[in-house]
Amino acid sequence: MERRQLDLPKADILAVDDNPVNLRLLLQILTSKGYKVRPVPNGKLALSAAEAIPPDLILLDINMPEMDGYEVCQKLKENPKTTNIPVIFISAYNNAIDKVKAFGVGGVDYIPKPFQIEEVLVRVHNHLSIRILQKSLQKKNQNLQDTLEELKAAQTQLVQSEKMAALGQLIAGIAHEINTPLGAIRSSIGNIQDFLKQDLYYLSSFFNSLNNLEKEIITKLLKQANNQYNVLSSREKRKIKKKVISQLETQGIDDADSLADTIVDLGLSENLSVIIPLLKAQSGINIFNQIYRFYSLQKSADTIAIATNKAAKIVFALKTHARHDSAETKSSADIIQGIETVLTLYQNQIKQGVEVIKNYQSLPQIYCYPDELNQVWTNLIHNALQAMQYQGKLTIETLSNPQQIIVKITDNGQGISQDILPKIFQPFFTTKPPGEGSGLGLDIVKKIIDKHQATITVSSVPGNTTFKVFLPINNIH
Amino acid sequence: MPKPIIICVDDETLVLDSLKIELRKFFNNNCLYEFASSGEEGLEIVTDLEKEEPNSKKVVISDWWMPSMKGDEFLIAVHEKYPEITTIMLTGQASEAAIADVLEKANLHCCIRKPWEYEDLMHTIKQII
Repeated sequence: MERRQLDLPKADILAVDDNPVNLRLLLQILTSKGYKVRPVPNGKLALSAAEAIPPDLILLDINMPEMDGYEVCQKLKENPKTTNIPVIFISAYNNAIDKVKAFGVGGVDYIPKPFQIEEVLVRVHNHLSIRILQKSLQKKNQNLQDTLEELKAAQTQLVQSEKMAALGQLIAGIAHEINTPLGAIRSSIGNIQDFLKQDLYYLSSFFNSLNNLEKEIITKLLKQANNQYNVLSSREKRKIKKKVISQLETQGIDDADSLADTIVDLGLSENLSVIIPLLKAQSGINIFNQIYRFYSLQKSADTIAIATNKAAKIVFALKTHARHDSAETKSSADIIQGIETVLTLYQNQIKQGVEVIKNYQSLPQIYCYPDELNQVWTNLIHNALQAMQYQGKLTIETLSNPQQIIVKITDNGQGISQDILPKIFQPFFTTKPPGEGSGLGLDIVKKIIDKHQATITVSSVPGNTTFKVFLPINNIH
Repeated sequence: MPKPIIICVDDETLVLDSLKIELRKFFNNNCLYEFASSGEEGLEIVTDLEKEEPNSKKVVISDWWMPSMKGDEFLIAVHEKYPEITTIMLTGQASEAAIADVLEKANLHCCIRKPWEYEDLMHTIKQII
């Protein structure tokens, strides 16, 4: 034979025929070609032999007493252990073989008797080749499926670790956001306690020592100091301070730099005409310092009020952000509130350098997974802030029509170049240096968007990048 | 002897206001105080002061977590330009890596955690000046 021989190592063939002469002939033909052949004389034995050690191929006679070939074949096909074994029928009378029935019960081919040796070998070889290819395909398929499962598991783990990383970052931010007002509160309480412990005893003697004019001046200055709201930046204060120092110095007042500092703090730089005579008097400095002590008391109380509000706001935002009750069921939620919560948590990174423009059109409540949508806003806002390196304009817009809610998040950062724009939602795609971004942020966003049957689009030119999220309104439950 | 100058940098006004009251209470008029709400502004002030008051002892106290320029970056920049200035970090949150970096590259005097203790912070500064 000039046929290209597929390597069919010791293929195991089950030959079934009630005629011992035929059986012996098949055995001879096939063993001479190196096949391993198991001869069986009837259907019953064939079934048990096939079940015990499934062969690679079965040659099956049709006309046998008790159980004919068709029935044997049918039973083989019903048994999951033997269903994939190719069956070639053998028939004594070419004309009598019911080809339709033979294929109908699951046969792959037939060989008429008397045997043509060549024909038997070619057909056996062909079907063994197919069977072996099929087996290797099945194995490869199984491998692929296993690999896919492993990849899915790895991805789940990565998503989880990305979430943990995000959580870690959030917690670090929260620690800062809470410890900062705590520091201010502790410091302010210390100042108030000191005042109550020390200054209070001294207070009556201090007031008794004042003459009427001094009392009048103190009252006036305190009123002035209490009325001013300290909205000056540190930069503006320094500018004013320099001016005040030079004015005090021209008046020949000692310690001008420290005094100027206090005057600016008290917001009294416009009242130098009243202050300068006071500072020139002998008791002046003492009086002036006392005014500062009163002022600091007021300032400490204000600081505590502002700081507690800040801390409370952060805790509230955190509580809203991390509700875990809605993991698997949708609930009715206010999208704008979710966005506001995220903005509060990112306040620390926004408050300087980033101008947040909010164009909120009021929105209907929708059924959604609020925590997960918060994660979408978190990721999109975080990306926007990073894209503009925390300097620029962040615009958040909400609008709706009867079918959907639209949220637009726009930054005026460097933009996303056209060649990478189509890749940004792919898992593991990142423009950040190795170790800084997992490349899963927008992949997670996309998954959450899909879960809501929503869509997300992005458009970008340098200085204007907009992510638009379209959330359907009619998706109740 | 010119007055020592203490420069505080924090993006949070609450902290700057509180620090100022503490510093004035502890050091009275014996020191000068400067305040900046960002690393960039802090650098500007330090540069100005080095020109105006080159002979004053200077201490820089900086927060770590600030928008744009972080505290470690700022303190390292200060140290590179003016190695004689003492640096202190005062923070509610800083990564260990960032602290290690400043310790090495800015010769950080110490890192004090928020919420800080008045006595701690003041005595630390007093030792330096």
